[in-house]
Amino acid sequence: MDRLPENLKQPTIDLLLAVADDKLMLGHRNSDWTGLGPILEEDIAFSSLAQDEIAHAQAIYELLSPLVNKTADELAYGRSADQYRCAKIVELPDNFDWAIAIARQFFCDHFDRLRLGRLARSSYKPLRDLAYRLAAEEQVHVDHVDAWIVRLGRGNDESKRRVQTAMDGLAPLAPMLFEKVDAEDELVDAHLYPRADDDMFHAWRDVLQHVAHEGGLSIELSPPDEDAHGGRRGHHSEYLKSLLDEMCEVYRLEPGAAW
Amino acid sequence: MIDTESIMDVLREIPDPEMPISIVDLGLVEDVRIETNGDSAVVSIDVLPTFVGCPALPMIENEIRTKVGAVEGVGEVSVQFIYDPPWSVDRISDGGRQSLAAHGVTVPEHGSKLDVPGHGAKVELRTSAITCPFCGSNETRLDSPFGPTRCRMIYYCEACRNSFEHMKRV
Repeated sequence: MDRLPENLKQPTIDLLLAVADDKLMLGHRNSDWTGLGPILEEDIAFSSLAQDEIAHAQAIYELLSPLVNKTADELAYGRSADQYRCAKIVELPDNFDWAIAIARQFFCDHFDRLRLGRLARSSYKPLRDLAYRLAAEEQVHVDHVDAWIVRLGRGNDESKRRVQTAMDGLAPLAPMLFEKVDAEDELVDAHLYPRADDDMFHAWRDVLQHVAHEGGLSIELSPPDEDAHGGRRGHHSEYLKSLLDEMCEVYRLEPGAAW
Repeated sequence: MIDTESIMDVLREIPDPEMPISIVDLGLVEDVRIETNGDSAVVSIDVLPTFVGCPALPMIENEIRTKVGAVEGVGEVSVQFIYDPPWSVDRISDGGRQSLAAHGVTVPEHGSKLDVPGHGAKVELRTSAITCPFCGSNETRLDSPFGPTRCRMIYYCEACRNSFEHMKRV
């Protein structure tokens, strides 16, 4: 389909906000490392990750723009914290601990890749076409972060201990990436967000555990609590507000200003 | 008389802002349509973005409008960016590949772009050896999967000790 049926409009808006908001916040966190990466190549890598994720978010906001009658910039920078649909894990600061930055990336990029793989089969054509390209680009992120997990796991005692601690710290929060937006099941039934071939949570957990195992590391992940309310329904961590204060500082000086 | 071939000739002269080849050799131009309207023609061009949100897109659009708009008999130029079909490295022409190699940029061989996943499978970006564009050696290694632009990676040749760029398999 090229046009959205009226009853699927709001759930689609919520789903696309979830995808774009995850990418925008993660991209912003990635950009924290510009100029501060542990080695030059990682400075470039994290800056490129940021560029990719923010560009992806922008493309999705542009797709949303006519549905909500707002520009991409208004969507990115002009909302209050409770109107964002990102998961809490992308909001957390890493305090410039490389192990935390890599572990967060590991959980989020694999999830994003699987989600984009589903959206690349969407019955809604504008979304399907865009998601296909985004999914192709996301593969490079996954490959990069997998290599880092294995490298840190096989490095020395300190790198292994720190990446294991970072993964253990994020593991309870990470499954909330799977929290559903309101009326997500209707989107699944309409193949707008088609069902995964296999259970997506198990596919995600299996690939994370496989990579971790290669690095001599372990990950325990439980399915998300269906009753818990998190970022997908507007319940955010305390960190989102400070992130937005920083990210939107210039925009808020004069909303709508031309660049 | 304006025909699609003459418009393509104009497009072949437009270089990509970030790559030393034309936008046609890079595989960006998907379709050219011409509607004649009395004395002037409306030219519609479908362009495939390489990487989503690539900062070069507004420049490419401008160049197309200026160059095609200057062709005698063209009244209006419209440029659409579309994602269907998706751009991939497979679309780079043989001539484009040769020019890129001369500039130290290699392109994955035809048919090697990554499939968009169903599920689970681990991504393997580093498959076969990449041949150095300067000395032809296969003794090369990936130095950085991210490079000067979003579509390129950096390799290093152990034989001639040069760095070169390789386009991502997407």
